[in-house]
Amino acid sequence: TKTMRLRRTKRILECVRSVYTSKIISSDKDLVALVFYGTEQSKNPRNSFKHVYVYHDLDSPGSQRVLDIDKLLGEKGAQFAEKTIGSGETSLGEALWCCSNLYSDIKLRLSHKRLMIFTCRDDPHGGDGAKDRQARTKAADLKETGVVIDLMHLTKPGGFDVSLFFCDIVSPPEDESELGLQIEPCRKLEDLQKRVRAKELKKRSQSRLTFSLGEGVNLAVGVYVLARTATKPSAVKLHRDTNEPVRTKTRYFHAHNGGILLPNDMKRAQVYGKKQIVMEKDEVDEIKKFDDPGLVLMGFKPMDRLKLHHHIRPALFIYPEEEQISGSSCVFTALLLKCSEKNVFALCRYIPRRNTPPRFVALVPQREELDQSQTQATPPGFNVIFLPFADDIRTLDAHVGPTASDEQVDKMKEIVHKLRFKYKSDSFENPVLQQHYRNLEALALNMLEPEPIEDLTMPKVQMMDARLGPLAQEFKDLVYPPDYNPEGKPAAKRKTAESGGGAAEKKPKAEISEEELKNHVANSTLGKLTVPVLKDACKQFGIRTTGTKKQELIDALTMQLSK
Amino acid sequence: MARAAKSALVLCMDVGFSMSNSEPGQEPPFEQAKKVIQKFVQRQVFAENKDEVGLVLFGTDGTKNRLAKDGQYENITVHRHLMMPDFELLEEIESELQPGGQQADWLDALVVCMDLLQQETMGKKFERLNIVLLTDLNVQTSADQLDVIINSLKKAGITLQFFLPFPLDGEDRADGGGDGPGPSAASARPGKGLSSQQTQGLEMVKNIMTSLEEEDGLEEVHTFRDALEKLSIFKRIDRRPMAWPCQLTIGSSLTIRIVGYKAVTEEKVKKSWTIVDAQSHQRDDVKRETVYCLNDDDETEVQKDDTIQGFRYGSDIVPFSKVDEDQMKYKSDGKCFSVLGFTKQELIRRHQFMGSQVVKVFAARDDEHAAVALSALIRALDSLKMAAIVRYAYDRRSNPQVGAAFPCIKEKYECLLYVQLPFMEDLRQFTFPMLENNKKFTPSESQLSAADALIDSMMLVEKDEDGESVDVFKVNHIPNPQFQRLFQCLHHRGVNPDDPLPPVEPWLKRALERPQAVSARCQAPLQDVKTKFPLKVVVKKKEQKTSADVFGSSADEPDAKRVKVDEEMEFNLAEIAAGNITSVGSVNPVRDFCALVRQKTVSFDQACQQLTHRIEQLLGNRSPEYYMKSIACIQAFRDQSVSSGNAELFNSYMQSLKRSVPDRNLQEFWDLLIQDALTLISKDEVDGSTISKQDANQFLAFEQKEEVQAAPVQEDTGDVDDLLDMM
Repeated sequence: TKTMRLRRTKRILECVRSVYTSKIISSDKDLVALVFYGTEQSKNPRNSFKHVYVYHDLDSPGSQRVLDIDKLLGEKGAQFAEKTIGSGETSLGEALWCCSNLYSDIKLRLSHKRLMIFTCRDDPHGGDGAKDRQARTKAADLKETGVVIDLMHLTKPGGFDVSLFFCDIVSPPEDESELGLQIEPCRKLEDLQKRVRAKELKKRSQSRLTFSLGEGVNLAVGVYVLARTATKPSAVKLHRDTNEPVRTKTRYFHAHNGGILLPNDMKRAQVYGKKQIVMEKDEVDEIKKFDDPGLVLMGFKPMDRLKLHHHIRPALFIYPEEEQISGSSCVFTALLLKCSEKNVFALCRYIPRRNTPPRFVALVPQREELDQSQTQATPPGFNVIFLPFADDIRTLDAHVGPTASDEQVDKMKEIVHKLRFKYKSDSFENPVLQQHYRNLEALALNMLEPEPIEDLTMPKVQMMDARLGPLAQEFKDLVYPPDYNPEGKPAAKRKTAESGGGAAEKKPKAEISEEELKNHVANSTLGKLTVPVLKDACKQFGIRTTGTKKQELIDALTMQLSK
Repeated sequence: MARAAKSALVLCMDVGFSMSNSEPGQEPPFEQAKKVIQKFVQRQVFAENKDEVGLVLFGTDGTKNRLAKDGQYENITVHRHLMMPDFELLEEIESELQPGGQQADWLDALVVCMDLLQQETMGKKFERLNIVLLTDLNVQTSADQLDVIINSLKKAGITLQFFLPFPLDGEDRADGGGDGPGPSAASARPGKGLSSQQTQGLEMVKNIMTSLEEEDGLEEVHTFRDALEKLSIFKRIDRRPMAWPCQLTIGSSLTIRIVGYKAVTEEKVKKSWTIVDAQSHQRDDVKRETVYCLNDDDETEVQKDDTIQGFRYGSDIVPFSKVDEDQMKYKSDGKCFSVLGFTKQELIRRHQFMGSQVVKVFAARDDEHAAVALSALIRALDSLKMAAIVRYAYDRRSNPQVGAAFPCIKEKYECLLYVQLPFMEDLRQFTFPMLENNKKFTPSESQLSAADALIDSMMLVEKDEDGESVDVFKVNHIPNPQFQRLFQCLHHRGVNPDDPLPPVEPWLKRALERPQAVSARCQAPLQDVKTKFPLKVVVKKKEQKTSADVFGSSADEPDAKRVKVDEEMEFNLAEIAAGNITSVGSVNPVRDFCALVRQKTVSFDQACQQLTHRIEQLLGNRSPEYYMKSIACIQAFRDQSVSSGNAELFNSYMQSLKRSVPDRNLQEFWDLLIQDALTLISKDEVDGSTISKQDANQFLAFEQKEEVQAAPVQEDTGDVDDLLDMM
């Protein structure tokens, strides 16, 4: 029926839309084309194929494509589609041929080629053997050139029978045990519809290094980043009138004669103990050089010597590089097995790049783990944990107070028990990024407002309260006296904020006279002033500051005022 | 909060003639003591704290001190009064500190120092007053005033430290309490062979120190040598931890007042380098200018005010002003430390720790109820082996995090350790080929036992005589070598502006090496590993790829086709030559350039200049399509240079281009040049070239391929350090 057809079309178009919007964020360099087949109208590069309509050519997608899809949705969309595309004779073979031309017209070398067929007909040619044959031949040609063909079919009354025709079209599954072929079509579509707003990164080693076990025993490893704080993609500067991207050019020139300064005309300087120390740029780099890049084994330690709180940076991951030094994988595997068996980690000196000072790292063995579906959950290799130097550990005087009684601890255990859950590292989305992507989408797709985000970092207070029931009060009765208010104190602060009477009236600007400043310089007490005051002072005397660190501001002022 | 406590300290050095005596091959005590003082002052200068330092010399030819009168306190010179140490002092020590020809009583010198401290600290607040005496004790002293001196030291709260050329008793005792990297070198001269004055002096030193500090007093008597080892470790960059008061919440009604402190975080160098003019060394002589320009032929400049920001959305760029961004962005509702739930510690992977810090969370100071409540939580978590998963926001401006709070129970205190955990977006799910069951890589039994033996021989945790485990390589006791090296070089350059930089100091090199005992122990097992595991550097076949391959344009096209393209170009050129090309445009620079060279309407030099201008412009974009165009330009440049027999322009351009590669981050582009073998024009090709064929072949290679990693953008602005800096 017509409504059923409409509903199916809608479902498929929504999938396509979701593929587009996900691709745009996850991998915007990927090329995507949208081809309809079985259409009345024909539109393809050389118009050599009948009933094949290339709605979008193979190109990197942008907002226009999503808007184009939106045009086809709904009652009006269906009418529009009827008019522009229409429906006609079906020949999958022609469509596949057209697609193969689209691929070959692309000048860039593509690392992956994938073709998804969306359909609800398991016998598209209605028994026309010639057409079936042509489609099989074309599919085989495509697969030959490295295209993976995937079927995204909808359910249909009586079931979608893949064995009728499509089993010969699609690429065989990678795992032979899965020969059953797409039994659950809906799941696949649902997966596609799930919007993932996260940048996808290609697996690439950050660097390839030599790992030296000792004099003359070297293996090669690749260093990988498996977790790194994802940040908002950086902004692009545009010309206000034309929205054309603009580039920045930075140049240095002489303040007095205006001549352009080349790198050789400049040196680097720092001020210590009232003295300016000058070095060449090369020297500044040389200071940071201790050794060539690489990992050097110092020795091994039992795992319990790796302290939980010795954390300064996210970890890296290493895996052997057989192509650089053959035999690396074998030594690597032997070390991995033995370290893991003996429950030790390897301590190494690590220099990631040229002219980079060393850091010490712990190589923690990680053996491969598979999940229920036999796919890799953790890869085999060593995690590289960065260890702090003496300077990185701050001395603080601990607060010492009374400790809790067993009764109090037991009550807390009940609370903990009520609120336990299975932590999974990928279950929290970054609300800042998600909001940013939705804002961008809203602007690009002319939406009235961005889709709302679900902030998973917020505690589900109501649910927690319900689970705790009277426990929270019972615990408070055990640890707090009746008149104790743990939320106390900040009250005073709030008052000042309110009495301020509006944001316009900020703190009076702390201006400082030249004389006062000179006094501070003479007594070396500039450090007592706050950063904003120092910044203002710099402005006041027209001192250009490159840095915003407090010490730099102080140095700049000292230089200026002690002249 | 307590202001940084400052100390006042007088360095009191014996420069008398006996200090210059030494056995052959030994460094005279004078030189050793001078080095100790240099290192010490150096440390103070770079620490940039408020400590004040004075310098008193005794045994000098002249006399300069307040107490000198009637032949008393002679040959004692107050070289520098109490003030913050600076480079001037370092320079003075370097050039003016010379051995004297007299001898003076070290007890007299001590009295002068005490007087100096008392006079010059009056009315100022100091946490600590200290006198450091460096002497060989080789002088007759009058001990009659000893008790008076000890009493007044006690009364004034002045502490003493002695540095001697020889150890206090036979062995090098100052070594005992130290846990610095590696044991210090062999002891100084043995206690034998001391003069009678020295023996008597030693007794007096012991007497003073024990009466001042009781038993521990003798710990403050060091040898010069030992002091050099320890002092050379520049003072750590001291940061006062900043308190972060907040409330830990569980659900809507359970609140505990807490305070967080950054406990571990990567310390960065305090100062950055400023750019100065090479001649005048003035930073004001260098002006930096950033201009915005369009991507057109003329690189039309645009005012900064005429630009807005946008973000890429697929192939589009969506204008999105800062104001709009701020208005629409995620808003956090202020600082918080809210429990989301509790989970088993084992579910939190150590290698998934994020961020750059560990925060220790205590109960609010002097709030015993909060202490009890937090203690209950810490102990409950500890006994259940669980951790709290929390939402952490430093303040309103900063981005929220999800992290774990682990229980930490120490002998003296309890706290929570907070570490940031990843967001879904931070994780990269890469899969790697399996290793263990891969036949190609599976190690044999004998290989496994070789690895096993190597690990056993290289354990850095050893059992001592009492059966206690001792860690012989504690990374958290090693000072960051970057700072040590930087300060060493700064000091050297500050004092000797024209000298080249010094080599890395031996002690620092040693601290970064495998401990010698371990190195010795692992020799045999390492040799075994070497013989059992064949490791061979793979000689790379010359990569045949060309840039065109990388971007796929002419993957396997036979040469014939290329020729055709060239012909086509020639043909086009003929056509175009008829038209009027007057300059190298940006649309088809190769065509324009070739036309110009052919037409000879402008000189070859000018045509090349225009072309290189375009190349530079294209390279400014740093993207593959522009690289391809640039390479086509360079190819054309080279071809035309060869055919017109002019190698100089091309070669000099290529040389300057190569120099600029690291700074402009053009490594990727350079690799493409390598693949296309677009090297210098050699003598073999053009007679006038000064480049040999061999040089041309080697030209493209950089000594070492450098993987440039973009510095992580620190986006989250508000954090503990920010506030600290604003104080």
